[in-house]
Amino acid sequence: MSFFTIVIRGLIRRPVRTGLTLLGISIGIAAVVALVGMAWGYEKSIGRQLDVIGIDMLVSNMSGGLLPKVFDESLQTRVTELPNVKETTSVLMLMLSVEDAPMIMVSGREWGGFTWDKLRVLEGRMPKDASERAVVLGRMAAEGLNKKVGDTVQIEADELPVVGIVDGQAVVENGAIILSLRVLQEITANEGKVNFVDIRLTPKTTKDEVARLRERVKEIFPAGRAMEASDVVGTSQGFQIARAMSWSTALLAIIVGVLGVMNTMLMTVFERIHEIGILLAVGWKKQRIVTMVLCESALLGLLGGITGVALGAAGLTILGLTTHLHGLLEPDLSPKLLLTSVAIAVVVGVISGLYPAWRSSRLSPSIALRH
Amino acid sequence: MMEKGSPDSEALVYEARGLTKSFDGGSVAALRGVDFHVREGEFVAVVGPSGCGKTTLLQLLGSLDRPSSGTLTYRGKSIANLPDPSEYRAREIGFIFQAFHLLPTFTVVENVQIPMFEGGLSRSERAGRALELLNDVGLEHRLKHFPSELSGGERQRVAIARSLANRPSVLLADEPTGNLDSENAAHVVELLLRLHKELGTTLILVTHDLAIAALAARTVRMKDGRIVEAPVSATQTSR
Repeated sequence: MSFFTIVIRGLIRRPVRTGLTLLGISIGIAAVVALVGMAWGYEKSIGRQLDVIGIDMLVSNMSGGLLPKVFDESLQTRVTELPNVKETTSVLMLMLSVEDAPMIMVSGREWGGFTWDKLRVLEGRMPKDASERAVVLGRMAAEGLNKKVGDTVQIEADELPVVGIVDGQAVVENGAIILSLRVLQEITANEGKVNFVDIRLTPKTTKDEVARLRERVKEIFPAGRAMEASDVVGTSQGFQIARAMSWSTALLAIIVGVLGVMNTMLMTVFERIHEIGILLAVGWKKQRIVTMVLCESALLGLLGGITGVALGAAGLTILGLTTHLHGLLEPDLSPKLLLTSVAIAVVVGVISGLYPAWRSSRLSPSIALRH
Repeated sequence: MMEKGSPDSEALVYEARGLTKSFDGGSVAALRGVDFHVREGEFVAVVGPSGCGKTTLLQLLGSLDRPSSGTLTYRGKSIANLPDPSEYRAREIGFIFQAFHLLPTFTVVENVQIPMFEGGLSRSERAGRALELLNDVGLEHRLKHFPSELSGGERQRVAIARSLANRPSVLLADEPTGNLDSENAAHVVELLLRLHKELGTTLILVTHDLAIAALAARTVRMKDGRIVEAPVSATQTSR
């Protein structure tokens, strides 16, 4: 018999209670996996979108709101002249309420710019030129708005025909309404304004050159900055809010888990006062009893964590496969998230066991034996 | 009160002077100034009516509780206020209780191994020694049984095997036959006597049963928290 056998025996003596506690932790950890997995997945899809389009860097003013502030489109010319910049294109991206959709991404793109290149037409066609007052819909936006080629979409005061449905190979692209930059500037009274200058770098640009480029952008555009794809996600307020919300909901789930395990471990200690008295009488050190209680609660956490990760991952995967959400969710079930979740569960277990362990260490053997 | 037959100071396992123990903030006095000694390898019976302080005395000797005042030494060293008595209990003492106090969710062989976790033994050494001890008490056929599947006499034999787990030099037995019928009680007493003789273990046994007490080398009688006499009976003198 090993010490571990004693720990296990402590847990299986009350299988129903242990099972219910495990279920409680599992649900908490499943919530962590699901919420954080979704948030991370969304961030990743943004990063991938930039890769798919072939954007190496972008210039914007991320300081306020969910989307960057607009600035004068003449900045593009100055950015294009900087070293290591192969080509640039301007974008005006807005979050607008369009018909039944309370918030949808509307992306106005400079006609002829490389951001149009990777859009694959599924139905209909692309706009004919920079001035055609027409839109193409990402395939998920078309589903969400319930539109097909030939219908119209009302953006602000204007009704624009849908001339095509496109696949943009990334969630954000597929969820957007895409049109010519000039048209979007006109209908939203943003003439001459954009909020992104997307950059393609010359091949073999080094990290040092990227750093120098950032500095040069800062010189010509003090309010904004040049960012790489990974920075975009890190600095966006929208992502920070989404991240904070997912983690704070997860934290609530964790607190519920802590209380559940603590309750179980306290019950276990109270119920076993007599046995703890016996262990003390036969010479067990208080430290060993504390270790035993902590190991039991950590093991509860570990098992709950593993089950929770499995539940959360399965739930997210199933959710992503449902027809309604198909293609909308790209959960990030990376080993990092799964391991972090299990680690959180173990820490939850240990923290929950601290007070019961302390209580057990305070027992007097003579009193405990009379219990 | 001074116990009769004062000890030679040499080879004393226990020596208590003016030992008192009160409960409930001093309103209940369980021991009222006990002077007591036990020599190496001795078999001492402690007798007296219920509530006279026998069990309290045994708990102080085993460091399961602390005295309110007085001195208590084990082999010349004070054990009255050990900051961590677990090592003393693990290495020096084997406890046998009236209510057996076995762990119900562990098998016989596991119960015997429980104290060995503090004995610095490997897993296989623990298993080997537990088998050896259970052979000694005649329970080699009950290894995988749980305490609830055993008779009272068998449970007490498991408890005796467990008390010897770390090869202690002192056995403290608190009414070990109190929950047993006469036949099982006789077997348990016989076993304790045999182990006491074979292993040379000091045995301090608390009992109501004067017939069992008569088997001891010395009997200490208690009443109202004091030692009232420590007679050396005719049979005991002849030992």
